[in-house]
Amino acid sequence: MSRIGVFVCHCGENISATVNCEKVAKITGELKGVEFSTDYKYMCSDPGQTLLKEAIKEHKLDGVVVAACSPRMHEPTFRKACAEAGLNPFLCEMSNIREHCSWVHPKDDLTTEKAEDLVRVMVEKVKKNKALKSIKVPVTKTALVIGGGIAGIQAALDIANCGHKVIMVEKLPSIGGHMSQLSETFPTLDCSQCILTPRMVEIAQHPNITLHTYSEVESVDGFIGNFKIKIRKKSKSLDEHLCTGCGLCTTKCPQKKIPNEFERGLGFRPAIYVPFPQAVPNKPVIDRENCTYYIKGKCKVCEIVCPTKAIRFDQEDEVIEVEAGAIVMATGFDVLKSDYFPEYGFGKYKDVIDGLQFERLASASGPTQGEIRRPSDGQVPKKIVFVACAGSRDPAKGIEYCSKICCMYTAKHAMLYKHKVHDGTPYVFYMDIRAGGKMYEEFVRRTIVEDGTHYVRGRVSTIYEKNGKLIVKGADTLMGGIPIEIEADMVVLATAGVANKGAEELAQTVHISYDSYKFFAEAHPKLKPVETNTAGIFLAGACQAPKDIPESVAAASGAAVKVAALFSNDELTRDPLVAVVNRQAAPVYSACVGCFLCQSVCPYQAIEREEIKSRSGEIIKTLARVNEGLCQGCGTCVALCRTKAIDIHGYSNQQVYTEIMALLND
Amino acid sequence: MNDMIKKVTQLLTDKTIDVFIGYGKGSADRSRAIFVRTAEQAENLVFSANCTQNLAGYLLKHEVKHLGKLGILANVAALRSILQLASEFQIKDGEVLVLFANPDGSFTEFLDFHSIEGYLLTTETGITSGEQERIAALEAMSVSERWTFWNQEFEKCIKCYACRAACPMCYCHRCTTDVNQPQWIPVASHERGNLDYHLMRAMHLAGRCVNCGECANACPMDIPLNLLTYQLISPIKAGFGATAGMKSDAVYALSTYKPDDKENFII
Amino acid sequence: MQDFEPKIVAFVCNWCTYAGADLTGTSRIKYSANVKIIRFPCTGRIDFMILMKAFENGADGIIVSGCHPNDCHYSTGNFHARRRWIVFRNLLNFTGIDTDRIQFSWVSAAEGFKWADVVNNCTKKIKELGPYENYNKIAVSTLFNEEGTSNE
Repeated sequence: MSRIGVFVCHCGENISATVNCEKVAKITGELKGVEFSTDYKYMCSDPGQTLLKEAIKEHKLDGVVVAACSPRMHEPTFRKACAEAGLNPFLCEMSNIREHCSWVHPKDDLTTEKAEDLVRVMVEKVKKNKALKSIKVPVTKTALVIGGGIAGIQAALDIANCGHKVIMVEKLPSIGGHMSQLSETFPTLDCSQCILTPRMVEIAQHPNITLHTYSEVESVDGFIGNFKIKIRKKSKSLDEHLCTGCGLCTTKCPQKKIPNEFERGLGFRPAIYVPFPQAVPNKPVIDRENCTYYIKGKCKVCEIVCPTKAIRFDQEDEVIEVEAGAIVMATGFDVLKSDYFPEYGFGKYKDVIDGLQFERLASASGPTQGEIRRPSDGQVPKKIVFVACAGSRDPAKGIEYCSKICCMYTAKHAMLYKHKVHDGTPYVFYMDIRAGGKMYEEFVRRTIVEDGTHYVRGRVSTIYEKNGKLIVKGADTLMGGIPIEIEADMVVLATAGVANKGAEELAQTVHISYDSYKFFAEAHPKLKPVETNTAGIFLAGACQAPKDIPESVAAASGAAVKVAALFSNDELTRDPLVAVVNRQAAPVYSACVGCFLCQSVCPYQAIEREEIKSRSGEIIKTLARVNEGLCQGCGTCVALCRTKAIDIHGYSNQQVYTEIMALLND
Repeated sequence: MNDMIKKVTQLLTDKTIDVFIGYGKGSADRSRAIFVRTAEQAENLVFSANCTQNLAGYLLKHEVKHLGKLGILANVAALRSILQLASEFQIKDGEVLVLFANPDGSFTEFLDFHSIEGYLLTTETGITSGEQERIAALEAMSVSERWTFWNQEFEKCIKCYACRAACPMCYCHRCTTDVNQPQWIPVASHERGNLDYHLMRAMHLAGRCVNCGECANACPMDIPLNLLTYQLISPIKAGFGATAGMKSDAVYALSTYKPDDKENFII
Repeated sequence: MQDFEPKIVAFVCNWCTYAGADLTGTSRIKYSANVKIIRFPCTGRIDFMILMKAFENGADGIIVSGCHPNDCHYSTGNFHARRRWIVFRNLLNFTGIDTDRIQFSWVSAAEGFKWADVVNNCTKKIKELGPYENYNKIAVSTLFNEEGTSNE
């Protein structure tokens, strides 16, 4: 006979507003095998947990059901409390009467009855629970950081400085990310390159960091503490050991008119190129799509001029396999493409540019050496319009969120423009000014008051060209919506920050979840902002949502601490909710017949063959065996097994069967 | 026939095999399975148009397996059973000596799985047109008509498990029906338990059934059990490109997937 | 029939639909109280026999829901589940079991609204279909309690 304890939580009024908690406790207290039942205002609070612990001891409970919020929220809390009271934590279950009941149903008898049903199900389930021991698995103390922007750099350095190995993978030929493209940064106007490049160099020189640029993650297998990753190192057509980075090849390459990605198309680069002067590593790659040799089969000028004979035209991609205990996703973001804005003529009019292009114009190392000149004719624009929320907060564009960084960088752009073009007039069209952050609001004020930027609250409806001017049509909603028309020389769109192209595929490759905008999803929006739902994989920076530099860096350091904490132990304790193959006495040994149809369903290759041998070494039977270190507990093998020889702890056949019976036979 | 008796006698004499599973004379004009262990017993082997039973069902039976090295007289269904069993790691290549009865009365010895696979590609393996018509007739009914039809059929079931015993693919030591913690399938032969049992069996044979029809032949209550599994053959072939018992190293249709498997019911 | 409150059981995976249903709650989106959730680690864990047991024990409708293709927490559990449901649904249909009473869906952790829609639409449909009398009839006619799961 069981001695179950039922604890019904009011969650303040979150549950008790619609569910009669006293009644739930009373009714379920009468169930067979329930020794003790009560309700309490906040079960997760300290006194609540004490109540639980004391009840376990006083009533010698051998099972606990906490009816409260989602187990995804507090199951670990209550299991821990049970363990502290001497009850095996896996004898504790939660009934979700908040998210799945009180919050979604009105206050009526049906809602309370549903709560009773949900508790009854768990009471019956917990009777079938078994005391389980946690599983220990070794931890590979190497972190994989995917993405070499500021977030990846920060995370990698923090982890490496804790004494752990880091493997960094960057898709482009150089690390640095978007931050390396920026001119000056808000709200202090310090030069982006000046604060970033020392850290890039630190990455290259750090003894604990291995850097793979021009590389992409191809597959991720394994699990927390024990990931196996395949990295495709794209061919650079270069022997990096021989190359000294002298740059002669890049100056001699006859193919010079390739739009420069780093300059956002505002400049050109050769086919063999280093993305920007401060690149790390400062060694070129050949862009095979645009290289004359790869297109026409002859040229090889770079090979001829190279003093160290480092060019390798026949070099192939290399796939390497590495092991890591944790993964930090730091793949950053992108900005909306031009085809989203036909009404603004973006892509059609050369002088309608996006914010990142403006950064390049304003950058001392950019295509204009920091002078603000418009792309069409190189003239200095005297009247410039900045359009905030270009795509953001616009359900029509499918982007309902606020891109967060645009208000600030638009203010910065207007300020930089005024600093460089003293007689110029900047206008900013905005919806709201969101300047929450240290010194942010003050910065925006300065732009408006000191630099005389005209802020117009309203949306721009259309932009068209007339007599060499860009006609910007909008309305000033603070002036009763009067139409405004500005004859501008140049327009800068603060285009929405969006998830990287390929973010969805990458998420699927590393097995993490993502939101409807394809940004990677955190495990909990408030309490687990740098964790993903996949144990051992963490998030840093704008791959999660648009973030500015300080936020990206903070998140990266947060992720690094999570990694360091994981690496602080030699072994990792895992929930033992894994599959297990039934074993019984000879001559049957197991209900398993060794058909191994389960083997190919296992995503983790956790099902092994076990040979039962006689004393003389003759194989009597071959059985399936689950490697509990590899098994992640999906249970797909359990559902497939005809003989029910495989079962899974925590969701065993007995448990789920009992749950159905309890739910339907009230 | 004498060819086969001669062949089996020789195989037994030179100890290539210890027992040969073939057909003997049954009651009236029927045939039955016999287990030939000596040259004298080999004289009892017969073969005629009535010898249609899939003898592969005996291969894994504990009582037979322990007699030593096995030889079998296989028909097409038995060949497919052998390959299916091989794909489920129940028979190794060369472990069973396979004689195949050709339509012209002669016999072929298949030396390995590969030659069986080759032969099966050249011969008809599908269900008969009569069976196809019965399935089509059922599919043409309304859902509730089908419910009534099967309910009436399952009502007859006495849960003797003859279907399970006859099926070459039902080789589990412990069938789900024998599991009592929890009791997935009610023990008694009432309608609910019968429905449970037959649905369970059909699902467990989905993608594994080699359409030998032994389940229906064995049923003392004449329930057309074979239709349950036969009906699943064509959707599994059309949807997943899989047919049971055609390759000894095939991956089971329900143990694999394609990312773009087609369905029209998941919202 | 107006008072008919169908019993609907939802078998959902922990990582997507359970979390999606949590989000429905967090977002305070209302749905019908007829549906009660049983949590599984993955749709791959959901044995077809579990669905049979639900009907047998008086469920009028069933929802089976998990991660969208490619989003499975375990990479491939939902793909295997999908194949299983394709076959099982075929079999149920062939044996005259009303597949309209089983709703399969993909609901992600971000789709709180979708979960409410799935539940409400399913409840509405089952209310229109009425109690599952066919199945209940055989279930009831033979109820001589032999659930078999002895309570130790």
